[in-house]
This record gives sequence, structure tokens and C-alpha cells, in this order.
Amino acid sequence: MHIVTCVKQVPDTAQVKIDPETNTLIRSGVESICNPYDTVATEEAVRLAQKHGGRVTVISMGPPQAVEALRECLSIGANEAVLLSDRAFAGADTLATSYTLSRAISKIGEEEPVDLIICGKQAIDGDTAQTGPGIATWLDYSQLTYVTEIISLEDGAITVRREIEGGSEIIRAKLPAVLTVELELASPRYASLPELVRSLRQEVKVWGAKEIEAAPERLGLKGSPTSVRKIFAPPVRGGGEIFAYADEKEKAIDSFMQTLFEKEADTLKELFSEETQ
Amino acid sequence: MPKNSKGRDIAEIVPGKCIGCQLCVGECPVAAIEMDGPVAKVLPEVCIGCGKCFDVCPVNAVIFDKPRKKKKVAAGAAEAGEYKDVAVFIEVHRGKGAEVSWELAGKARELADKLGARVLGFLLGSNVNDVAGEAITYGCDVVHVIDKPILGTYLSKVYGKALQYLCSQVKPEILLLGATPLGRDLASVVATQLQTGLTADCTGLDIDMERRLLLMTRPTFGGSIMATILCETRRPQMSTVRPRVMKLPEPDPEHKGEIKTLDFSFPDDELPQVMDFIPVASADVDITRAQALVVLGKGACDSRQVPMIEELAHLLGGTVACSRAVVEAGLMPYSRQVGQTGKTVAPKLYIGIGVSGAVQHMVGMQGSEKIIAINTDRHAPIVQIADYSLIGDYQEIVPKIIEGLKARRGGKA
Repeated sequence: MHIVTCVKQVPDTAQVKIDPETNTLIRSGVESICNPYDTVATEEAVRLAQKHGGRVTVISMGPPQAVEALRECLSIGANEAVLLSDRAFAGADTLATSYTLSRAISKIGEEEPVDLIICGKQAIDGDTAQTGPGIATWLDYSQLTYVTEIISLEDGAITVRREIEGGSEIIRAKLPAVLTVELELASPRYASLPELVRSLRQEVKVWGAKEIEAAPERLGLKGSPTSVRKIFAPPVRGGGEIFAYADEKEKAIDSFMQTLFEKEADTLKELFSEETQ
Repeated sequence: MPKNSKGRDIAEIVPGKCIGCQLCVGECPVAAIEMDGPVAKVLPEVCIGCGKCFDVCPVNAVIFDKPRKKKKVAAGAAEAGEYKDVAVFIEVHRGKGAEVSWELAGKARELADKLGARVLGFLLGSNVNDVAGEAITYGCDVVHVIDKPILGTYLSKVYGKALQYLCSQVKPEILLLGATPLGRDLASVVATQLQTGLTADCTGLDIDMERRLLLMTRPTFGGSIMATILCETRRPQMSTVRPRVMKLPEPDPEHKGEIKTLDFSFPDDELPQVMDFIPVASADVDITRAQALVVLGKGACDSRQVPMIEELAHLLGGTVACSRAVVEAGLMPYSRQVGQTGKTVAPKLYIGIGVSGAVQHMVGMQGSEKIIAINTDRHAPIVQIADYSLIGDYQEIVPKIIEGLKARRGGKA
């Protein structure tokens, strides 16, 4: 069993903000982390490889410093790591990114065929959830998105539980398959000290456009149909009225309820009718 | 540093403006731009001052000593001309059209009117005649239908091929899908097959009249930033749109439209098999659909108080959700978690009880219409964004609110 996981190094989005006056990103002090969904994907891949016998190759497309995300995955048990880093990859949208990753997976498969590809459901910086299905489409592999449980993996097929509108479904597909996974699938382990040391010492291959034999016009900016016209801060909410119950007790409650009934009469009316439906 | 040692007027990147998109890195013909941590940096001795980085930068972070004018970035082969009309993919849930599809039909009408185009419905399914008729009442001028037993269950590959076929036959200028699990799964497949641009999870759509382009606005970086995206040269311009963002139009039984049924034969590949469907248990509601949410935080993580909290939620026709700390404590399931690693919610009314408002939580709820915070700490971050804040012990406050609401309802009924 050969499993590939695709990971992305992302800024800790909770720390990224826009300066509302200049409309520019405030990045100082923002840490980079391995996308949490991708860590879960790698954890699950390692467990499957241990259970069924096999190995895990983890890949990432990004600037040289993205190697840190790969090392994090090595420390929780991935066997090998490949960094896809090339100027030609810069400015890629999800179409060009999924093409680049699919090329790398084909290349990896030349050495040992790939049975399963696991991606996080989405990256927390872009939230698009498009790269995983894109990879499946480029490679023409089975596609299983929003996976919350892997039920069985045998006889060249995989059975999973996946989230859909109104519930979940149990679905069986032949291998090779591309999975995108939810956080609840697995809790990533803490790296042991020996694994941590191994992850720091291990060689990480770096591949560019040439190594993955990619078509230049499908890469990076050239291969990306979408472009960003502008970025801006979402409308800011200011603080509203404060009622000091701790100090004023009943008086605070009375004035709160009165304000609510006056100013939010419409909202309450709608909510009340909702309940009686 | 306006010039290098060769006397060239060179580019400079303002670190505070750079968003690290690396467009300039890819564009530079002489490899003079490198990433320096999160921002791009110009190597002064390599730069030839051609200004390609200046033209391509989406945020004007590249500057030259001598002011220049932005050149339009060369567009690829324009094939936009033969594509027209605004198409909506109509999602079917258990024999009925999904609400989000009708919301999109309403938005599509607005866009089509600006473009002088028609609204098209793209409908895939099995026995979906009634849905096609419904689509017309929601404003579709033509509904293109593929009605086959194999389309009774959603499979990425089958639906992907069918929708790709519709696009290649009908050639819409714009294709909108709901940002539901099905819509997001399908849109990615079709966009990749058609080699066109797709923008996920949009909250705003408009037309750039001058260039006849769809302006797709979406939250990114977990909601802390908004971005407007274009798909300039390839067609259709594709977008998934969040449910309950666009207004649901009133159906008009008088609206006239045409239903066109297309035939399509599916490749007989070995397809995945759906073995079972497990509906969401009634106790496990979808918090993203609730009109009112009462959200428990670390400061109210007490199982004995849950019945009271549920009473409040029920009174408002809503449901109970929570912050990450409450899930970690084991009080509520993950499906109820609001925030960056949980669900993004935008109810009409959000009541946070003992929620301090960590940024990771706030990015998942800041789109709520009205926010009420109940907290002992006047300086909690959530108080800074709440419309109304009650400072004090929730165990005393909540029963009084319940009492007040009951009296109000009683008086109204």
C-alpha cells in the first residue's frame, strides 16, 4: 500500500488581519503552520500504512520554507517527503495547483504505484476545498470528499463514510482513490523525540517543473484562470450597548429587555414565528 | 534605493503592502524577485526595471522611484464571445429543488439583466420534471435537463461528465452552484474538466460592466479578509455561493420558460457504489441552518445548565452550539462547534454565553446579523463586537431573559 498525502503550509489565519486604514495585510508575528486538515490526513495515512503494511509519501507545493510543514509530517510517521518548489509554480490558483500536485503524484507513482491519496478537506487560509477534487479529476481516480471515517480498505477498494447534505453516506470505490478528509477523522499524535530527530535529519527531495515533467503553460500564473482583483477588510462591527447586570441587577435586565423589544422587534417576531412552524 | 550599480531604475516592494501572492516572482523575466519569508523582495543587482512585477501586482505593493502607469496584463486567447447567458446548477434533494438553487436563480436574474442575457437552469437527476417546472417559477428562462436513472444518486464522476456536457453544448458565460457539499465537490470536477476558473464560497457577485466580467467576492483567511476574484479569459466563469447569502425570490407562477431535455450516454466505467445513507439524527442538528444560536463558551461549560440553555434556544426557534473549549471538555459534539476549525455560522441572532471571543471563534460567527454577549468580563473581545452585552453571571441572567421572552410571546399569541 503506497499512500500520498498532500499538505500545505499556511499562515495561522486567526492571526492574519487587515489594517482597515491602509487595506493591507498585517503579517508581522504571524506563524506558519501545517494546515490542520492536512495533519489529520497524514495521521490517517500513517495509521493505514501501519495497519495494512505500506508507506506514506508526503508532498507539498510552496516556497522553500514549506519544508517545515513536511518535516512536521515526517515527525508523525510519514516515510518520505517531497517539496515542489519552483518559480514557475508561483501565483497558482486551484486549477494550476491541482495540476502540479497531480504531476508530482504521477512521478512518484513511477517508482511505486500510488494506491491512495489523502488531502485535507480544505486549507484554512483559502478555504476553497477545490484542490483535492482537482487532483482526482486530473488523474481520473475515484473521488471521495468530506470523509469522516475509513471503514475498510481491501481487495483494491476503499469504503468510507462521508458527509453529505442532510446526513452521511457509506460509499465504496475502487482504488486508486483521492480522499479529502474532515478533522474528526483522526487526532494527530504527538511526535516522539526519536521521530522528531529523524524528521529533522531526513533528506527532503525538492522537485521543480522539470522533475515533474509538467507542461509550462499549465503552471503557476500562466496556468491559472482566476486572478485577484482586490482585497479588503470585511466591514468592522463596533461594540454596542453594555448592560451591567453585576452592578445593577434587575435594572440592567429590564433595560436590556426593553431595548431588545424596541430595537429588535422584527428579528424577534421572525424567530418566534420560526419556532411555531 | 532608486537605481542599482548599473544605473537602472529598479523595482521596490513595500513589505507592509505585499500579500505574498508570488505573482511577481512568476512574472519576473530575470528571476530578480525572491520570497523573503512571507513577502517578496527584489534583488537590486539582478532587476532590469522592466516593470512586469509592477503591472501584475494586485495590491500595488511594487513601486518605482519614477512614477509609472500600469499596463494591462496581456490576456490569453479570448474565447469569451461565443459564451452567453447565466446558468444555475439546480441541486436536487430527495426529489425537491434545494433552496440555495432558487436563491441563485434570483441572483442570476439580476446578473442576467445587467448583461442582457437569459437565466438558464441546469438540472440533473431522475424523475425531475416537477423540479424543472419549479425552476421556471423561480425565474429560469430555459431549463436544460438530463433525466436518467443513473442520476438518481450523486456520484462525482457521473454528475461531472453530465454537467461538463451541458456546458459544452449550451456554453453559458457564467455558471453558479450552491456551496453545499455536493455543489463544491461537483464544481471542482467540472472546472478542472473544462479548464476554467472557479471561485469557491462567494458571498457577493456583481458584473464589471465595462469588461463584461463577473466579480466574485469571497471571504478568505478564515473570514478575516475579503477578496474579489476574476476569471478573465476562460468560460464559463464559475462560482459556488454560500447558502442563505442571496435572497430567496418569491416564486412567480406566471413566469414563462422552456424545458429542454438532452440525451447523454454515460461512459460505463466501474463507478463507486453508495451502500447506505444515514440521515442526521434529530438530536444532531445542522447549526449552520439555525436562525438563532445560543452558543456556550468555556465560561458556561456546565452540564447542569444545559437544559436552561436549551430552553432559551427553543424559545427563539433556534439551537445550541458551542466554542472549541466546550467540545474539548466533552460536553458537546464536534458538529456543534463554531469557529475556524468548526462551522461558520451566520444566524439572525447569536447569543454567546461565557464565550470570550478568541479570534478563531469570531471568524466563524462575525457574519451573524445580531450578536448578544453574556459574560462576566466587560473586556472580553466578544463584547467589543456584540450589539448588546450583559455583564454578569449567566446563571442569574439567562432565567430572567427566558422569563422576559415568555411574557413577550404570551402577550403576542
